Parts: sequence; C-alpha cells; structure tokens
Amino acid sequence: MDSSLFQLLDYGVYGTAILVMLIGLYGALVKKSLLKVVIGLSVMESGLNLLIVALGYLKGGTAPIFSDGFLNGTNKVMVDPVPQALVLTAIVIGFGVTAVALSLVIRLYRHHGTLNIDEIKNLKW
Amino acid sequence: MVGTPVLFVAIPLLAAFLIPLLGMIWKELVRIVPGLVLIYLMVLSVNLLNHVLVNGPIVEVIAGWAPPFGINLVFSAFSGFLVTLMVFLGLIVWIYSYRFKRNVGFEPAKKYFLLLMMLVTGAVGIVLTGDIFNMFVFIEITGISGYALTAFYTGRDSAEASFKYLMLGSIASTLLLLAIMILYSQLGTLNMAEIATKIHTVKPAYKVISLILFITALGIEAEIFPLNGWAPDAYAEAPGPVGAAFAGIVVKASVYAIIRYIYTIFDISGAYDFLIIIGMVTLIIAEFAAIRQEKLKRMLAYSSIGQMGLVLVAFGFGTKEGVFAALFLMLNHAIIKSLLFLSGSYLVYNSKDKTIAEVNGMHKFLPITSFLFALGAFAIVGLPPFAGFWSKLSVLTAAADSHMLFVMSLILMVSVVELVYYLRVVNRIYFFKKEESVEAKKPTFNALIAMLVLGALILVIGFYPDVITGVIHKASADLMDKTKYINDVLSIKQ
Amino acid sequence: METFSIIFAIFLGGAVLTYFAGKLSSVVQDILFLATVLVPTYLFFSGVSIGSSMPFSLEGISLLWGVNHFGWLFSLIVLGLGSLAAVYSVGYMKGKERRGYFYLNFVLSVMSMLGIVISQDLISFFIFWEIMTWSSYLMVIYSGNDVQRIGIKYFVFSAIGAYAMLMAIVIVHSVTHTFFIEDMIQAYGQMSLQLQIWIPILFLLAFAVKAAMMPLHVWAPGAYSNAPMAYTSLFSGALSKMGVYGMVIILVTMVNRLPQGILFREVLAWLGGITAAMGTLWAIKQDDAKKLLAYSSVAQLGYIIVGVSIGTELAMMAGLFLAVMHALFKGTLFMVVGAIEKQTGTTNFTEVTGLIRKMPWTFFAALMGIIALAGIPPLGGFIGKWMLYESLITSDHYLLVILIFFSSTAAFLYCYKFLFGFFLGQEEKEWAHVKEAPATMVVPMVLMGIFMVVLGTFPGIVLNPINNGLMDLGYVDSYKHLWETSIIFNSWGDHVILQPILYSIMGIFIFFLIFVLWKGYKGTRYVTTKDISSSGEVPKEDENLTFSVGFMQPFMRAVAPVMRRQMDKYYTGFANGLEGLFDFVRRIYTGNAQTYAVYVVVFIVIVLLFKDVLF
Repeated sequence: MDSSLFQLLDYGVYGTAILVMLIGLYGALVKKSLLKVVIGLSVMESGLNLLIVALGYLKGGTAPIFSDGFLNGTNKVMVDPVPQALVLTAIVIGFGVTAVALSLVIRLYRHHGTLNIDEIKNLKW
Repeated sequence: MVGTPVLFVAIPLLAAFLIPLLGMIWKELVRIVPGLVLIYLMVLSVNLLNHVLVNGPIVEVIAGWAPPFGINLVFSAFSGFLVTLMVFLGLIVWIYSYRFKRNVGFEPAKKYFLLLMMLVTGAVGIVLTGDIFNMFVFIEITGISGYALTAFYTGRDSAEASFKYLMLGSIASTLLLLAIMILYSQLGTLNMAEIATKIHTVKPAYKVISLILFITALGIEAEIFPLNGWAPDAYAEAPGPVGAAFAGIVVKASVYAIIRYIYTIFDISGAYDFLIIIGMVTLIIAEFAAIRQEKLKRMLAYSSIGQMGLVLVAFGFGTKEGVFAALFLMLNHAIIKSLLFLSGSYLVYNSKDKTIAEVNGMHKFLPITSFLFALGAFAIVGLPPFAGFWSKLSVLTAAADSHMLFVMSLILMVSVVELVYYLRVVNRIYFFKKEESVEAKKPTFNALIAMLVLGALILVIGFYPDVITGVIHKASADLMDKTKYINDVLSIKQ
Repeated sequence: METFSIIFAIFLGGAVLTYFAGKLSSVVQDILFLATVLVPTYLFFSGVSIGSSMPFSLEGISLLWGVNHFGWLFSLIVLGLGSLAAVYSVGYMKGKERRGYFYLNFVLSVMSMLGIVISQDLISFFIFWEIMTWSSYLMVIYSGNDVQRIGIKYFVFSAIGAYAMLMAIVIVHSVTHTFFIEDMIQAYGQMSLQLQIWIPILFLLAFAVKAAMMPLHVWAPGAYSNAPMAYTSLFSGALSKMGVYGMVIILVTMVNRLPQGILFREVLAWLGGITAAMGTLWAIKQDDAKKLLAYSSVAQLGYIIVGVSIGTELAMMAGLFLAVMHALFKGTLFMVVGAIEKQTGTTNFTEVTGLIRKMPWTFFAALMGIIALAGIPPLGGFIGKWMLYESLITSDHYLLVILIFFSSTAAFLYCYKFLFGFFLGQEEKEWAHVKEAPATMVVPMVLMGIFMVVLGTFPGIVLNPINNGLMDLGYVDSYKHLWETSIIFNSWGDHVILQPILYSIMGIFIFFLIFVLWKGYKGTRYVTTKDISSSGEVPKEDENLTFSVGFMQPFMRAVAPVMRRQMDKYYTGFANGLEGLFDFVRRIYTGNAQTYAVYVVVFIVIVLLFKDVLF
C-alpha cells in the first residue's frame, strides 16, 4: 500500500507537471491578450522544467553534491544531477526569451495601442 | 593544424561580448572586429576542411571530459562543409552590411553586429556539437538573436513578425527540451554517438514520440509546413542581410539538426519517407503561396521555404545520391537566395510598402543590382548554365534512382510555378515603367562587392560544378556512414 | 577536338564583349557582333569534319560532343540562317534601343542551337535546349509589349516541355546509367512497356512545344510576332526546327525500334496534319503580317511533322527537305516583314499597300518566299510538298493527304493576301516617301531568295546531306534510287535533277511575269483607293477600303465552327483557376500567431495519430 501510494504520488508529480504545461499551452493558444500569451509560454516552460526535475528525482536521494553525508556513506543514493543542470540552463534561456518577448509586447502596444492578438495581423497571406 | 573546432564557437561568442566594449574605445571597431573574426573563421574552416577531407574528422573534447560524459565538437567532412558555408555567408552578410552604420546610426549598428555574431555562433554550434542538449542551447542562442534581428527595424510590423517568430520559437524550444528529456530518461545520456549506439534498446513508442517531437521542434526552425507561419513574416520584415542570413545560415543549421537526428541518432526507417512527405507538402504549399504575393521579400521567403522543402525531400531519399543532391541544393540555395535577398532589398529600398509593383523599371537606376537579381532568379529556378541547374538535376536523378517518379513529376510541376513568379518580377524590373514615387537607392560599394561575389559564384558553379562537387561527395559519404561517426566520437580518450 | 572549344569560347566571349561594346560605339558593336557569329560559322564549316567528337566530363557525368551527318545538316540551317539573319540584324537594329541585349541573346541563341545539334548526350542537349529557351524568351520580351502574358506563356510552355524532357532523361538514366543518346536509343527496345510508352511521350512534349504543334502551339503567334523580326526569322526558321531535329534523332529513331510503334507515328502524323490545317485557317484570318506568318509557321511545321512522323524514307526526306525550305522561305518572309516594319512603321495589311515600286528588292524576296511557301513550281517548296504527298499516298494515308492538300490549297489564300496586301494594290499617299531597306537588310533576303530558286532546280544540294543524315540514323541509302520512289525525280547522273517539265513551267512563269510587269508599267492609270464609287455612293475619307479588309469573309464564315474552339481560351481558363487555387492556398497563412501555434499542435496530433502508419 505504501509503495503504490508513492507510485501514485510519482505519477501525481508527472501529472501535475504535464498539467501545468497544458495550462500554459492553453494560455498561449487561446488567450487574446499578448501578455497572457507570454505568461502562457512561460508557464509552459515552467511545467516542463518541473517535469524534467521530477524525472531525475530518486526516492530518498540527496542533492548531487559532495556533501559530508555522501562521503561518509550514510546515504549513497543521490538524484541525477544532469536534469538539474539542464533545468538551470533552460530557466536562464526561458528568462531571456521572456525578456525579449515582453520588450516586443511593449513595442507592439506602442504601435497598435492594443494587446489583442487578433488585431495585430498586418502581415498575412 | 591551425586551430581547433572550439574556436568556431569561442571566438565569435567572445567577439559578440567584446563588441560593446570595443565600441567604447573606437566606434569603427564595432564594424571591423566582426569582419576580422569572420575572415579568421573562414580561413580556419577552409584549412580544417582541407585537413578533414584528407585525414578524417576531428573530434574535440571540451573541458576535459571524454565522450560520452563531456560535450564534444565534431568537425567532419559533413559538418565542416556546412560550417564553411555558414561562415562564408556570414562573411558575405558582413561585407554587405559593413556601411550599415551610415543608415541606422551607431547604437543599432552595434547591436546588429553583436547579434550577427551571436547568430553565427549559434548556427555553427548547432552543426558542430555532438551533444543534444548542447544543440538545444545553440538553437536557443540562434533563436534569440534571430528574434532580435527580426525586430531590428523598430517599426510596427517588424515587432509583429518578431513576436510570431518568438512565439513559435519558444513552443519549439519546449518541445525540443521535452524530446531531449524523453531520450535522456530512457538512455541516461545526451551524447549523440552514445545515443546512436543504444537507440535500439528504447521502446518504439518512446522512440517515435521523441522523434516526432524533435521533428516538430526543429521543423519550426527549418520552416516545414505547417510549422512555418513565422517564416514569411520574419523574412519580409527583417533587414535584407538578415533575411539572407536566415535563408543561408539559420535554416541550414536547423535542417542539419533534423538530418542528424534522422540519419545518425535514430534508426527509424519510416522517418525518411516522412521527410519526403513533409518536404513535398512544404514545397508545394510554399510555392503556391509565393506566386500570389504582393511583397517582394515575402515572395522570396516563400520561395526559400519551398527550397528547404525540396532539400528535405532530397534527404528523404536516403541514398547517397539523395544526400549529395540535398547538400548541393543547400549550397546553391544559400548562395542564390542570399543574392536574391541582398539585391532584392536594394530594389525595394526606398519604397513604402516594399511591394513587387515598386520594382518596376528599376534596371535603369540600379543596373548591376537588377542584373544580379535576374541572374539569381534564373539560377534558382534551375536554368542552365547557372548553379541551380546542377542541383536540380542531381535531385531529379536521385529521385529517379529511388524510383520516386511521382515525387519527381511534382517537383517539376512546382518548378514551373516557381519559374512564373520569378519571371514576373524580372519582367517588371526590366520592362515596366518606373513608378514616380519610388526613388532608387544606389547600393554601397561593399554591398556591391558582396553581391558580385555571390553572382560570380553562381556562374562559376554553373559552368564548372566540379569545383565544389568533390567536397560535397565526401560530405555526403560522411553523413551516410553512421558507424564511422559513432566510432570516431566514442574512440576519443582523454 | 579543340575547334569545338574555340567555337564556343568565341560565342560566349563575343556575346559578352558585344554587349559591353555598345558603351564604346555602335559601329564597333556591329562589327564585333558580326564577327561573333561569322567567325565560328567559318570555323565550324572549315575546321570540323563530320565524325569528329569531343568527350569530356562534368560533375561526374561523361558528356560527348560530336558532329554526325544529321547534325551537320541542321547546323547548316542554324549557322547559315544565323549568319544571314545576323547581317540582316545589323541593318534592322540600327537606331533601335537595347542593341546590346539583342545581340547578346542572338548570339546565345545561335550558340545554343549549334550546341543542340552537336550534343551526343542528353545532358548537354538539355543544357543547350534550356539556354535556347531562355535566350529566345528574352528576345520575345524584347519589345516590352505584353511581357507578362506573351513572354510568360512562351516560357511556361517551353518549361513544361523541357521539364518533361528532363524527366524522361533522368528516368532513362536510372534504367541505363548513361546519358548518351546513342545508348538510350539502343536500350529503348529492351525497356519495359510502360517506359516504352512514357519516354517518347515525355520527349514529344518538349519537341512539340518548340515545333509549335497543336495543341501546344498557343504561345507561337504571340511570341513570333512580339520578338524583333530580325530574330523571328531565326526563331521560326531555325529555332523551331530544333523541335523537328529532336523528334527525328530521338523519337523517330526510338520508335523505329518498336514493332508496335506504328500507332505512335499515326498519332503524331495526325497531330501534325491538324496543326497544318488549323494553322492555315488561322493565318488566313490575320490582318497583321507578323501574326499571319506566325500562324503560317505553325502550319508549315505541321507538314514537316507529318513527314518525319510517317517515317518512310521518302517521307523523312520530304519532311527534312521541307524543314530546310521552311528555314529559307520563312526566314526570308519574316525579314521582309521586318524591312517593311522598319520602313513604314507598321505591318498591318489594311494600312500598308502598294510597295512594289518602293521596295522592289524586298518584293523579289517576298515573291520567292511566297512561291516557295505555297509550293508552286519551280521553287523548292514544290518538291518538298510533292514528295510529301507521294509518300503519304504510297504509305496509304489517304485521309491525311486530303487534310494536307486542303491546308496546302488554303495556304494560297494567305500567300496571296501577303503578297497583294503589301506590294500590289493601289498606292497610298501615306507611303509615298517609303524607300528601299538598307543594303544590309536587302542582301540577305535576296540571297535567300536566290537559294530558293537554286534549290528548286538542284534539290540534290540538300537531298544529299539529308540522305547522309538519314543513313546515320539507320535508314538505307535511298538517294540513288530516289527516282524510283518519286516520279518528279529522274536518274540523270549522280545529282537528282528535276523533270524537264518543270523548266517549261518555269519558262511559262517567267514569261507571264515579264508580260504582267510590262503591261503594268505601260497601261495603268494610277488611282487611289478612294477613287471609286458604287451605287452612286462615294466612300468617305476615313473608310478603310484597302483590299485586305475583311479578306475572305465567306470562307471564314464557312470554317467558323472549327475555329471557334480556341485552345488558348482553355489554357487561360486553366491558368485562372490555378491562380485562384494559389490565392486560396496562401490564405493558410492567416497572420495570427495563435493560428500558427495551433497548426503546430495539430501537426503533432496528426503525426501522433498516424505514427504507426508513418514510422
């Protein structure tokens, strides 16, 4: 019973991460305000980051750092360090992209006087 | 040996960060340094390519961690060929935009050259790296500098185009990261060669899903239909040289990534046919959309998309001839489409809407630019004796050898469409009355040089393709030989 | 074989030099242009012997250039007509704009046509074919009139043909792994039935477009009349012959290897026959000399196609002889129109009349051209037509003979219209100032007129090379026995000479000519068109009473049902439909970033749904 609960929790973490991604996607695809679209994109990335960290997690693992406990051999299980490194990188990149996006939104608002994405389509066909 | 592959990433990146600082010392340095960097990279890549063609690929380990643990860069005949091409186009774009400052002021020029350096870094990095996450990072570098360059002119429409690019680009990066993580969770490695050796152990469902995500994510950058909504806008609104850089550098890098995944990393044979399908759809839709365009650069953008579709089709044949044809096509497309973007942006330089109607009668005022545009138009539709003919011929030969007669006939039918819209523009340049409102802008001397170099290359390759085909043959053999790639990478010891 | 390289180097270098020489002076440009065309011509005929060849390789493809008898025959047409038209061009282009452009494309056209006839492999054949296409396209749009419609129509048809040919070439290559024409023809007999059907059809598309065969002729009237006349004489005279050349060396030789190739020949012959008939009818209807000659070219190429597609020795000879004759007379007639255009500024029959006294030499050339075109003895056209009829009858194509005979007879109508409209009839005051064209224009025309007379009497000059060429293609030597197959030849010595009866016809003809001219000078009262009255009505000043107005109305009314269906309309409708489709397609790009993002999601979902099928 214990293990299945943990399993459920595992899936719950994955499920939550995926749900966050889908919410972000929904926001990016459906919301009409440019700001909400940008927020949606960010949320989607966060969900993905969550998912990646969850994938690298081991039950009862410690941080992948050469700490005292690790060296003494009391707790030899550590989580996979690579996903965490990846997530750090991804967060930085996501930060940069969001910054560019927001600056573009400001410019679009200046020129169009609106944030409605449906009204900003001078370029088409 | 005069250098190592890591310089291709390190030097332009360093230059990009130094440009603002150097600009404080002497403003001219902002323009000169990128050129020096690109010239150095050009010399380096030609030297390395010569070395590699004789002695086999160079695998470089970064930070002392041997593959599969560390990140490695692979400069083989295939990647070296693409790197040389990209650096060459970067150089052309630099020559073309050398006097950019005059038109746009110092501050934007600084940003422009900085971003151009970043773009080259990212694209070259995509091609050189042997690590899928590292590739993701380079794709993002390319992407962010691409967004910023698209929005370079601070107008209303360029911001819109940039936003579309950014929106699709960040969806792409999410999908790409997801795909990388699916592979990583199954195999526990990010090294391409290592993945390639273990990929058969992955459950087919995971494999296929991650491949689909990879293709979608990279397909957004590589302008595959229906993922290419951003492309026409971005090409049309970015400055002319940036359009050339997109067509010649960014898209090439993305196509490289797709090809690397399908040819080397994954072992899914259905992916080749899938490439043909999406390539054909992209080609047909893009060329159909191009013929009714009102804006010149937008038309060129659709044409560029179509050509990339054709490249994917040629890769999809999966034969050595197909790869040869695809690489030849990439080379020709990079040269010719850059020429078209560079000369085309002078043809509509001062017009308000940049429509095709405004190139009317431009040949009287811009004789050389018009001639070069016409030359590019003739070359890209594959008329002999210009460069485009040989690549079209090799694509068709490869198609016939793979018994893809239907695909071949579709390609030829679409070529007729392509012919029509290019001829319409050329006819307008030469035979229509000039509109009074549009004042022609003379190309600067360096822009002329850049365009003439490209024009000369079109003629040289057209009359004597053997100058380049030897290299392409070796590059295509290199791509086809998957086990050699794996061995080369994994045999490297510290 | 070094001469080939030198010839093509001169062509290319000379073309570029000529283009830029315009900046220096026009005289230098003219001289350079003439040298660029004439020097390689001289080199070719003096330095290249039949049978010489030059193998080389490009991009890993082995190529072969060489001259055989058949190619030599066509190089005679190309370079002969090319040189004369070049001389003519110098006069024609005097004082016109874009001379450099004209000269450049003229030289490139001549070069590419020569290249086609010396190509022994399909790749260089295709390359030269395409260079020919785009250089002639650049000539078609030279004047800038209606370039988007006429020019692009020409190029699109040419491109469809050329791409069909390219497709055939690569398919053949995928089967035989060689690009040599010889090997392809050898291998053709062993190919699968599907390929045996498709490859000739694909090749035929390319050749039929260039030879302006129905229903692919719609580009021809516009293109022929839009190009400068100095070029059109080459365009119609030599360039369209490249279609015939291709048909002979590739189609006919290939189909000859098939036992069931008969059907293919019949279809082709009938298409040629229909082309001849329809072209003639359309030509009669035209009021513009350029258009008339353009349709007439379409019709004449129909005869040639009939000849070469029937494929018996006599028919081949007839077709090829007609091809040479057509190059001569149509080249001359277009030059005549060019001269008239240059001197009067218009080419409309309803405007220009009575030039016989103003431009006597031009009239002579026109007369010779018309006689040859109409197939009246004693000029060469008669011999070709006669051989064609005879070959059709001996091979039991009676219906086709009727068709050809009908169109040949109907051709008299437009011949008459051409000759009478321009040169005879009342003189108009408007054209009182017109002078004869300059010598550079007159000399080539008259020379060609003389050639036609000579060929009418000594057809052996051309029939002998034709016979040699046919032997190259695997036909038996029929030259010596020509008098057995056709009754207009006799067996005098080595050269085949006409029956004496033709001389008497010629004598009668000359007698009548002298008589008419003499009478004409003596007893005519000069009147104007307005100097008449009918039923008490005197025509008003602005009424156009020129002879050619409403010419042959009853006849045209009789054939109107046939002519109402115009291929052009169907093509235009098709093109418009396509443009609509293109417009629809580009609406996929809605401009909304979210729509594009939805496309991405939809793409993933679809691919995931079909992943089992796809991967």
